Amino acid sequence: MNAHRPRLISFRNPWFSASVGAISLLFLFSAFVGFVWLPSAQDDALFKGLLNAICSAAGRPGAWLGEAAPAVPPKAPVSSVVLTPGMFDGASAGGSIGRGATLALRCTMCHGARGVSAANTPDLAGQYAASIYKELRDFQSAARTSAIMAPMVVGLSDQDLRDLSAYYAALPRDGGSGERKMQPVPTIVATGAPMRNVAPCESCHGDMATKLGAPWLGLQPRDYLKSQLEAFAHGGRHNDISAQMRNIARNMTPDEINASASYYAGNR
Amino acid sequence: MAQTFSANSHDTAALTARIEKRWAFLMVGIISLLVAVVIFTSLHWAMMPPSRVETINPSTLHLSGEFVESNLGSAVEPDGSITVRVVGQQYSFTPQCIVVPSKTLITFRVTSADVIHGMLITGTNINSMVEPGYISTFKTEFKQPGDHLMPCHEYCGVGHEAMWANVKVVDKDVFSKMALNTRRLTCDF
Repeated sequence: MNAHRPRLISFRNPWFSASVGAISLLFLFSAFVGFVWLPSAQDDALFKGLLNAICSAAGRPGAWLGEAAPAVPPKAPVSSVVLTPGMFDGASAGGSIGRGATLALRCTMCHGARGVSAANTPDLAGQYAASIYKELRDFQSAARTSAIMAPMVVGLSDQDLRDLSAYYAALPRDGGSGERKMQPVPTIVATGAPMRNVAPCESCHGDMATKLGAPWLGLQPRDYLKSQLEAFAHGGRHNDISAQMRNIARNMTPDEINASASYYAGNR
Repeated sequence: MAQTFSANSHDTAALTARIEKRWAFLMVGIISLLVAVVIFTSLHWAMMPPSRVETINPSTLHLSGEFVESNLGSAVEPDGSITVRVVGQQYSFTPQCIVVPSKTLITFRVTSADVIHGMLITGTNINSMVEPGYISTFKTEFKQPGDHLMPCHEYCGVGHEAMWANVKVVDKDVFSKMALNTRRLTCDF
């Protein structure tokens, strides 16, 4: 019986030719709708014309802003550091710990012989290299201002800053008395205040998650943390890229600033 | 049973052919309906998937170009339209409070400095991915003044739930007065 049947895949089979024909028509119509008709209905000049409409709908990269007012330059210097995961890859980019230790002699009077001190300066021992490097570069470019730090970084080369960052990142962290781990975690640190647009501190700075460029805050002096949070909140400090930290600090209440500073300061 | 089946094989073939024909018409009908829905929503609701592809280096947004911090916010263009530039990054939008006039053509230019975010303006059909490396451009017009929320609606990390911004649509005249004092408007602070 099968021998009498026409071949299945052949245009002499009316079922085959009808279904393939219908699908082809539908395909051509849909392609016309997606690549020509609907793009042309947009009022962008870049969608006008057959070729433009097809290429734009297919995703050809282009410049989609027509004439625009020129960009407004910043009033004060902003951070010019480019943070990428591979920024310390390579022998020289990674920095030399030994050379950094020699350069660090100029830092010891405030930051301690091994990166830890009681002078209300930030503890640098075990800090992320990217964070140290970014702040040093920002002090150099005056994106971050400090009467104390500005003269210290004059004349240091990019390699010097990388070496210093590598050295301090390699030092062991101050263990403290372990009391921080024992105290209850304030709400602002653990869950933030989502209703007021404040992400938890820990989502960038802590044990929960870290973000490139955001410093480790464990066991930093309370006065330092509080003054920096307030400086971010009032705009006095503005070297955070695209206002990342100012957006957070501005929405924090004084109680939240106190609670988070005390938590990260441990018992210092 | 097999006997009965083979005896009526001609009827069965005709029945099968009829069912298949109906099925084919139904399928073509469903597909046509879907295409028609796409056409209608695209033309009348502007629900078109954005195909304005434009690339940018996400790690150097802050160094130069239109996404430097001082250029973010609403800009009045020479033709009277408004361009709003926004950067999304873990875990906030900058500016956090966007101010735009009503009854004016608004062009949004949004990009991300780190991971994939989303932006959605409640009460409008604005809903877009914000991807690192790409600039999302879309145009809209707000009919009347009012406040809208703009949450990030793509999970972007552990602080995702705290990432949102405000969109304040103000009267055209109020906006013009605000625009006299500054070149880039936001309602932060």
